[in-house]
Amino acid sequence: MEFIRDYGLILIFFILPLIFVIQPLFLQKIEEKDETLDRGTLKRKKIILYRQIKELEMEFDIGNINEDDFQATRTELKQEVSAVIAQLNSK
Amino acid sequence: MTPIAGGAALNLAFGFSILTVISLIFYTRSGDQRLFWVGQRLSLAISFFVFMATFILSYQLMISNFDIDYVARYTSLETPTMYKISALWAGQSGSLLFWLFILSIFATTTVIQNQNKHHRLMPWVIITLAVIQMFFLVLTNFVTNPFMPTDADFVVANGNGLNPLLQNVTMAIHPPTLYLGYVGFSVPFAFAFSALMNKDTSSLWIQSIRRWTLVAWLFLSMGIILGGWWAYQELGWGGYWAWDPVENASFMPWLTATAFVHSIIIQEKKDMLRVWNMVLIILTFTLCIFGTFLTRSGVMSSVHSFTASSLGPIFLTFVFIIMIVSFGLMYLRKDDLRSPRKMESFTSRESGFLFNNMVFVVMCFAVFWGTLFPVFSEAVRGTKITVGPPFFNQINIPIGLILLALTGIGPLLAWRKTSKESLIRNFTFPILSGLVGAAIFLFLGYKGYVVISLSLCVFVTATIFTEFARGIKARTNKFNESIFVALWRMVSKNRSRYGGYIVHLGIVLMFVGFTGHAFDKEKEFSLTVGESDHVAGYQFELIKMSEAERANHYAWISELRVTDHSGQFITNLRPEKRVYFHKNPDVNRRQPHSELDIYSTMNKDIYSIFSAVDNENGIAFIKIMVNPLVRWVWIGGYILVFGTMIAMWPRKDS
Repeated sequence: MEFIRDYGLILIFFILPLIFVIQPLFLQKIEEKDETLDRGTLKRKKIILYRQIKELEMEFDIGNINEDDFQATRTELKQEVSAVIAQLNSK
Repeated sequence: MTPIAGGAALNLAFGFSILTVISLIFYTRSGDQRLFWVGQRLSLAISFFVFMATFILSYQLMISNFDIDYVARYTSLETPTMYKISALWAGQSGSLLFWLFILSIFATTTVIQNQNKHHRLMPWVIITLAVIQMFFLVLTNFVTNPFMPTDADFVVANGNGLNPLLQNVTMAIHPPTLYLGYVGFSVPFAFAFSALMNKDTSSLWIQSIRRWTLVAWLFLSMGIILGGWWAYQELGWGGYWAWDPVENASFMPWLTATAFVHSIIIQEKKDMLRVWNMVLIILTFTLCIFGTFLTRSGVMSSVHSFTASSLGPIFLTFVFIIMIVSFGLMYLRKDDLRSPRKMESFTSRESGFLFNNMVFVVMCFAVFWGTLFPVFSEAVRGTKITVGPPFFNQINIPIGLILLALTGIGPLLAWRKTSKESLIRNFTFPILSGLVGAAIFLFLGYKGYVVISLSLCVFVTATIFTEFARGIKARTNKFNESIFVALWRMVSKNRSRYGGYIVHLGIVLMFVGFTGHAFDKEKEFSLTVGESDHVAGYQFELIKMSEAERANHYAWISELRVTDHSGQFITNLRPEKRVYFHKNPDVNRRQPHSELDIYSTMNKDIYSIFSAVDNENGIAFIKIMVNPLVRWVWIGGYILVFGTMIAMWPRKDS
């Protein structure tokens, strides 16, 4: 009895995950997503860039970065954000 | 469920790990999304079978099924329930299964967390994690299977029981915590490897693993501190760190991981140090596997050598494969790893970070060399030359002090270049504080490293307060906020930065505790009831000696009344001499053990050990140590944990 119970359980525990695993193979073929066009990735990039601008402002306020560097880096980051926003709007 | 199901679950997990790698490699070639989903689900299935195997073994330990060799070796009917559970990581095969269990939790979390993210990175992330799982599945299936039946042709009535040194609450928590740290670095390593495979070495992979790295670093730090706490409470030599090979095995990845935690900031902000970050995460992960090898192979003699085995060559092969493949891939991607920006000045925060990284790596190399010197010396000259704490202290105390100084210097440097005016403005107060501290400590009669260490602690604390003060001042001026509102908003908007400073404060307090070691005092004496002796201005009188039989041991208990030089009562200490497995008819299997009693204050610890007992003459052999400032090590540890939690706490926008 114990033998049947054990192997029965193993069979159930094997078959259920197997069905779960192979199920996507019965779907229609889908081509790979292009990461560069992924909206989520662009949104994350935008958040990170905004965060970097805030941190830069903080560094400037406490005197860890001089005026010239601050302006140059800020402009650079703002241009990057604009590019990301443009990409997001084009979708 | 019986052990058969456990063994079968491990077999299935192994099979599924092979299928995961195959399906995802096909996906990277064909781009057929269905194969990616199959790979993802296969990865979840591996974890499912590993969870099943782990729960089955835990259950068998709980019900004391001595038909399983592992259960019979590491538990007995008398073993308390909590230690029956902790026996899962007490022996070799169980601890490897436990490694795999934690890895499977992390792999599952990574797959679920990134279901719709990082489409390029994830296939190779899953492949890497599956290969690591496969390695541990090979070990648990074919080399040291935790479900092996007992090798006896009779019914085993009772098991051997757990080593008394492991029957301690801290020891029940310390290994899982350390493992969470070791295993946690698999995820950042998998992302790094995937970035190399995808030729995408920008800061994208760094942003994906920042929190994972901090989580792993936190657990590794906690594991090391808990290990020190356990050694202090349980081993009875009065210290918390002995440069033991297994302690070093956890310290080495901590050093490279700490360097990595710092240098990823530079890649995130400046897109610099791409090669360096790759090297650091590969080294950290390799050292984690190497640490498991040192703990489990028995190649080094150690207080942690609860097992000795033939696993060494397999682990070493895996370590070499990781290094050859990873560094080989780095060589192939050397053009992609070239950072677009260069260091501009020696007095910049970037170079401060890089210098601190170098010192961490030098320290790691020194520890590595000292740890493996006995093995190298035996291989080359045929004699095993053991390198003890004096070597490690001689090398690492100055390096540690340089690191402590850099902890203070780094945050005061500006990005790109620090002007002369900024240098003077930022450093004046901390340097003056350090110098005033040094003058006071010299006046108090302290010398050498003690003065340097304590003065640096003052210097670093001053830099941390300066940084907080500058941040608060900037906010109060700009937003007209009150000091408390400014502090709250400043920390919550810049968690990693200010969390990091709090971690630095924790490190400073730990250094205060380490420095106290220079003033340790100890004495051994024997007493009969009514007699007394003195150590470091304290009087110890043996007022009572008693005996007690408990569930899993027999104990002799001495009661010491402690008074100070003026006769003022301080405390009563009750150290015990125990014999575990005292009912075992085989005298050789009974295990003596000294259970300590410690009176701890902020200023010093009074540490008592009942070393031996002479029953016939009623004599107790006692060892007393007076250890100043030890509590600051543990307080520093709490602050380190608190600071790391602030640094990794998710922001609303994430």
